[in-house]
Amino acid sequence: MKFNLSKIWILLIVGFTLFTACEDDMSSITSQEAFKDITGSWQVIQLKRNGEDLSERMNLHDFRMDFKEDGTYSLAEKLPFLTQGTGNYELNDPQYPFSLILTSEQQESHTVKFQFPVVDGRRQLSLTFSLGCTSNSYEYNFERVNQDQ
Amino acid sequence: MRKPIQNLIYLYIIIGSAVTLLLMHCGLKALTVTVPQQAKAGEQVTFVMHSGAEPRIEGSGKYTTQLVAGMMVPKSWNARKNAVLTFTSPKGNGTMRLIADSEIEPVSGLSWHQAAKKMFGIGPNLVDDFEWIIYRSTQSYTFANNEDINFDVKVECHVGHENMLVRLGFYVGSSIENLRPNDTDYKKFTFSNVLEVVDGEGDLIDFVNPQLGTVQPVKSSDNDIITLSFNSGVSSTVLDGQQDIYLHVSAFDEKDERIATVNIQQDKSKLIKSAGKKFLIDLWPRGYFELSKDQQITRLEYFFTDLSGEKVVGYGNTDEPFKYTFRCE
Repeated sequence: MKFNLSKIWILLIVGFTLFTACEDDMSSITSQEAFKDITGSWQVIQLKRNGEDLSERMNLHDFRMDFKEDGTYSLAEKLPFLTQGTGNYELNDPQYPFSLILTSEQQESHTVKFQFPVVDGRRQLSLTFSLGCTSNSYEYNFERVNQDQ
Repeated sequence: MRKPIQNLIYLYIIIGSAVTLLLMHCGLKALTVTVPQQAKAGEQVTFVMHSGAEPRIEGSGKYTTQLVAGMMVPKSWNARKNAVLTFTSPKGNGTMRLIADSEIEPVSGLSWHQAAKKMFGIGPNLVDDFEWIIYRSTQSYTFANNEDINFDVKVECHVGHENMLVRLGFYVGSSIENLRPNDTDYKKFTFSNVLEVVDGEGDLIDFVNPQLGTVQPVKSSDNDIITLSFNSGVSSTVLDGQQDIYLHVSAFDEKDERIATVNIQQDKSKLIKSAGKKFLIDLWPRGYFELSKDQQITRLEYFFTDLSGEKVVGYGNTDEPFKYTFRCE
């Protein structure tokens, strides 16, 4: 019992020393949330309608969306999406975005729920919105094309 | 050093077991409901849930909780805005309050309404266009041992404007127990017999009986992705035994003029085999019919066929087409 107690004391002292030794360095590190960069070509890997996964049943292979550095987007072809063709995009907050604003060439503006998670080590872009009736919700999950390269 | 910690753990286990034993037999009586067989569209109807409490608490222990009650109704009824829940019991009467969406049910991490939907589902109904709505009494009530009571929860609600056949869901529970998956004592739920809503708008929405052809979601526009299903197990048809089922479909505009038809057997129109004898096809109508921006579809007429296109099944296994009208409300 005595041996165990002395062991614990030694560990505590060593731990405290290490902790205090790093204190100045730790406090000098400042972290800043990175700006979210969504530029690139994104391919739909999952599509959910009202929580039901339609990915296995629908051919999503050609469903791509490109976000360019000049603030424009383009959709690969006519797809079930909020907007068609090309337009401009903007995150509501580049550091802490929770929505993506898409403005078509016809100046129609759509605000969609935005998430930018990392799933299984791969960055995903998740957009949630209604296509037709507001009672129906669609969640599109994209992955960057050629993300591994 | 380890002994006090071990003793503390034993103490927690003993206290936990004691609490479990004290409340082990405490719970709610089985839930039954009184629901009319028929109602007119838009009419206000009354549903009554009958249940009770059976507190079995040893010693001088007390059990204090609030009554929780809820129901599952079609979304189109808009029950959140028009339903009123009241309860009567020997311990007091009162009006129940809708639990806010922002309040999280602790076990599931979802709102109470979402948690109830996840836990109780849609019961015997076959098509999902329902919402669970959960209410709670404004006051707490304290029970002593063997203080058995019966209580009724009355729901007054408008049934909406659509013709339908539906089985409604009901739930009663105890606020402090939440919606624990393994609990069978403190949450009681049931589904009603069939309620028929008549004299309403549009085609009959049959949530209850198996249909040869169904469409999901029940409410959609031509810019939604819809799923058309062919349930070949419902009745014997000329397509029995066929492995390849195709869709023949026509789209109509607001003037009820046919604006597009896809009636050839190709990959685009082929249904996917699903569970059992079910086939389905997911399509985005605006893309499927290659509509221009100014065109709009108000309804569809469709049949299911074999590869040759000669064997055709329509509504109710007749020559009449299945029909689906796009509407959001």
